[in-house]
Amino acid sequence: MSPSPPSSASTTPKIQALALILPLFRRYWLRVFFGIVALLGVDLCQLLIPRVIKLSIDGLKSGAILPHGLFRYGLMIVGLALGVALFRYFWRNLILGFSRLLERDIREQLFSHLLMLDRTFFQKRTIGELMALSSNDLASVQLAAGMGLIAAIDAIIMTVAVLMFMIYINPTLTLIALSPLPLLALLTKILSGRLHKRFSLVQETFSNITEMARSTINAMRLVKIYSREEEQTANFDRLGRQYIKHAMRVAIIQGLLFPVSGLVANGSLLLIVIVGGKMAIDNLITIGDFIAFISYLFMLVWPMMAIGWVANLFQRGLTSLSRIQAVLSEQSLLHDDGCSATLPASINSIELRALNFSYSGQQGQGLHDISLTLTPGLFGLVGPTGSGKSTLCHLLARLYPVTEGSILINGVDLNRIAIKDYRQAVAYAPQEAFLFADTIAANIGFGRPDATLKEIEAQAEAVGIHDEIMHFKGGYTSKIGEKGVMLSGGQRQRISLARAMLTRAPILIVDDGLSAVDAGTEQQIMRAILEYSQTNIVIMTSHRLAPLAQAAQLAVLEDGRLTALGQHHELLAKNDYYRAIYQKQTEPGGGEADAA
Amino acid sequence: MQHNYGFFEEETLGDVKDAQLWRRILRYGRPHKRNIAFAIFLALTVIATGLALPHLTKVAIDQYITNDALARSERLLGLSHLTMTFLLMVVVGFVANFLQVTLLEWTSQNIMHDLRQRLFAKLLQQEMAFFNMTPTGKLVTRLSNDIQNMNEMFTSVIVTLFNDGVQFLAILVILCSINLRLALMMMALIPFIIINLIVFSRLARDAFRAIRTQLAMINSFLQESLAGISLIQHFLREDDAVLKFKRENQEYMRKNLRQIKLFSVFLPFIEILNSTAIALIIWYGGGQVLRAQMSFGELAAFIAYMRLFFKPMKEISEKYSIVQSAMASAERIFQLLDRDPAIPGGQRKNGAISGQISFTDIYFSYKEPEPVLAGLDLTIAAGETVAIVGTTGSGKTTIINLLERLYEPSRGRISLDGHDLRGFDLLWLRQQIGLVIQDVLLIPGSLRDNICFGAEVSEDRLREILVKAQLTEVVRQLPQGILTLIGEGGYELSTGQKQLLALARVLVRDPMILILDEATANIDSMTEMLVEKALRATVRSRTSILIAHRLSTIRGADRIIVLDRGRIAEEGTYQQLFDRGGLFRTLVEQQRLQAAK
Repeated sequence: MSPSPPSSASTTPKIQALALILPLFRRYWLRVFFGIVALLGVDLCQLLIPRVIKLSIDGLKSGAILPHGLFRYGLMIVGLALGVALFRYFWRNLILGFSRLLERDIREQLFSHLLMLDRTFFQKRTIGELMALSSNDLASVQLAAGMGLIAAIDAIIMTVAVLMFMIYINPTLTLIALSPLPLLALLTKILSGRLHKRFSLVQETFSNITEMARSTINAMRLVKIYSREEEQTANFDRLGRQYIKHAMRVAIIQGLLFPVSGLVANGSLLLIVIVGGKMAIDNLITIGDFIAFISYLFMLVWPMMAIGWVANLFQRGLTSLSRIQAVLSEQSLLHDDGCSATLPASINSIELRALNFSYSGQQGQGLHDISLTLTPGLFGLVGPTGSGKSTLCHLLARLYPVTEGSILINGVDLNRIAIKDYRQAVAYAPQEAFLFADTIAANIGFGRPDATLKEIEAQAEAVGIHDEIMHFKGGYTSKIGEKGVMLSGGQRQRISLARAMLTRAPILIVDDGLSAVDAGTEQQIMRAILEYSQTNIVIMTSHRLAPLAQAAQLAVLEDGRLTALGQHHELLAKNDYYRAIYQKQTEPGGGEADAA
Repeated sequence: MQHNYGFFEEETLGDVKDAQLWRRILRYGRPHKRNIAFAIFLALTVIATGLALPHLTKVAIDQYITNDALARSERLLGLSHLTMTFLLMVVVGFVANFLQVTLLEWTSQNIMHDLRQRLFAKLLQQEMAFFNMTPTGKLVTRLSNDIQNMNEMFTSVIVTLFNDGVQFLAILVILCSINLRLALMMMALIPFIIINLIVFSRLARDAFRAIRTQLAMINSFLQESLAGISLIQHFLREDDAVLKFKRENQEYMRKNLRQIKLFSVFLPFIEILNSTAIALIIWYGGGQVLRAQMSFGELAAFIAYMRLFFKPMKEISEKYSIVQSAMASAERIFQLLDRDPAIPGGQRKNGAISGQISFTDIYFSYKEPEPVLAGLDLTIAAGETVAIVGTTGSGKTTIINLLERLYEPSRGRISLDGHDLRGFDLLWLRQQIGLVIQDVLLIPGSLRDNICFGAEVSEDRLREILVKAQLTEVVRQLPQGILTLIGEGGYELSTGQKQLLALARVLVRDPMILILDEATANIDSMTEMLVEKALRATVRSRTSILIAHRLSTIRGADRIIVLDRGRIAEEGTYQQLFDRGGLFRTLVEQQRLQAAK
């Protein structure tokens, strides 16, 4: 569904960004068209009101008007006001509604697109950045497409029309009265541009304060234990003072921006009173013209400010749009192009051939020249922290594409298997047991939405968490998260494991999934995993050797290289690292002085 | 855009007539009396100049422009004099306006800063049980949004209420003085406007709140989906996620459209009233001009003042809802400020302690009725090394929590060097205990800052500590060595490295009591061995408490305590306990069995 924009070098990113919203204008063109028509109606009615005022005052001055006539003028004004109200109702609904439809459509497109991107992308962008695209950036696009569009059209219509009326009354006076107004547009543009920048700084500092408050409260135990109260208060004070500074910088602009419009408008008024007053004294214009002129002048103040404001709004909207467009044009490194191979129902071998891998940044340990073959059964992966165990799991789970060397599934190159097919065949319990803020049942059944409660319970039983779940007030329907039950690290790991095992996928990857589970429970879980591995390939990493001792095959990774391969007793005999940690972890009689 | 970390608070409305609350809020302004008085003076200036301008226009029309009785030159001269005054007014108004806005912002920001600091300090004094009871989001809201609400009230509301109130009254007086009957007619419109505005502002606030809540829903859904994206992809749940997202997104749009509708009905209504007022002036006022009961200038001024007449009313009613929520915020803030911590500290600060600790008949539970400790008796001699073992939930960490006075036992007495723990100064007490736990608090700064934690440490000693904590190799690998920035935005340390850092931190403080609570759980076995060796001397010379899952790591303890169901089940040396064949032996064998398999 994602458009793959041809990256022709001639088009600038901003123009490409416009290509994102043009289809939306096309989709909703009727709405936009009638919205603009309604806007014209509003402007017309608004312009006619001062004409009526002028007519009535001139009539009064010449004495040619009767009370009856005055009443008619009054009615006309009310009628026009009703027209304004009616048309305004329509444009607000049509055009502002359009901007919300546009916002909805882009947000949806963005979300669907994000779901297709691979891990390399998510390592480049933080969640906060992506959230900002959906909230702040999209909001500025929406503002530009809604209020911005309206203000621009309105300002142009009003300026032209008011100018015409004014010129009709007296061209010279018009020219003189308007001379300060371009200054207003300019000042507004400069000031509101500054305001926006400074205001984002205020918001940033505000969120820093919020974040500091949050992290302090969350780490309250540590703050108390380490007696950090004074330092934390001092840091908080510093942030607060920063906030004051930035807020003041905003206040200065605000203190200028709004009075400036009054200043310029009153400057114009002054010119009208001087020059127009003289003209009226010399009977060059009527007193009615004079008063209407003043009304028109005030009508121009808003469009002039709007021009400055809209210029900024469009600029910001476009910048935001191109930021969104940049993400939408990202392509996943994992794709189904040329994936013709089909995956057999039963998988009986995974072969790694001269596998090399390195991350683009410095996020983790790469892999060098790994070759090995996995068959159904438990495969244990051990090695010091940062030796590349998780990296190997990531590649087997196909979070990254294989670029050097190859992984063969039943002899078929992994890169040639459709992503969905392969994912269906792999269940994965990552190192960080991530759970969704949903019910426990939904979390366990995440990979199998069709699973019955019975199956879910049986799986929970197998990983030794059923009893604990039943202890929660809501049982399996308890929600996880701040408003629901808070789970311990071991509980999270077991639910994550149950989620993976419930899929009964032919390949199961468990990346350090039992580190927070106590010894008794661990034994129980290992029984379930060994049973699973009878017919399936199970890949498991662990810091502790005990659970892996029964593995059909064990591999030691050190610095991204495979340094030993074999069964438990073989490794004990031939690998120094393995032997050393085994002794450390098991020998109850040895190392008397080691403790403490 | 604010995300409240997934927490939404039901917005409540404060009682605007609560005089006691008002007095308390205004008390915070007292230190800034002078600024406030000056701001009031400036506000009056702004209003006066603003109102003078239409008056000057009126004078210009009546006395000079339409006054055929005067000679042309005199009329022009008068006009030019008038314009000078006009210009002066404009400039004075502008300057006063600017000064007022900035002065009030400055004053209000300082008041709020002061309040926020007090609140933060108060929060730090609260006991741990309080934080367990209260969701984090709620407390964060006190410090952020609630303070913000009050700030908004101080700057915009009090100002507008004052400015607009005065302006409104002034206009009313002027209108009455120009033409009483016409003015009374205008006043008949006021109830309509006020009712309309109050109803509108209430509906608008509800609509806005609904939008904000929905946006927070979208944001938390998005945040969660992005955090768990590899799982969604892996378990092929993309379609489902998109469907859910579409639903939330659609709902958000629907709420926005409702707000648009609301505004498009109510905003034009004011305009209609405004035009009706002008129509009335023309019809009725024009009639009076015809009957020569009113001048043109007066008529023009009346129209001009009417324009100013509607603005303050609009603003006042708009601000009403802000006042309501600010009052509610104030109430919540004061509630927290008034809360006395349940664990007050004492005065005692012994010069040097020996480190003898005793727990006598201790009962404790985090959540009634599940007791964690039930009748615990434990004495640890000065300089002794005691290991505490037991299954998950047997109360190991709770003992530490009580010793640190993070919680208070419901019964029993804890003493240090024979003095009741409650008599000690809290900060002093916690400084005597060096605790290494699994969680590590990183402060923004370099690795060195994080190790020293504010203490002065010589380079030699620091080097020695790095060696002991097995950090030398880690430091060597860092891009800027020990000066490398770590934590958020800086270099990301692994969990194991962070534990080594916590160890180094305790070594810097060199306390008399050392507690290692699963301190090496995330460190690989090789490093762990080295750390243990390096720490041996330090542990020997202090009162030490060790808590560890892996029983092999506690062999060197003088005494091992086995906790079961909140009291001591067995105690003795490793060998004694093993030989006795009780709970400890079962635990050891469980681990050994597993390993041997």
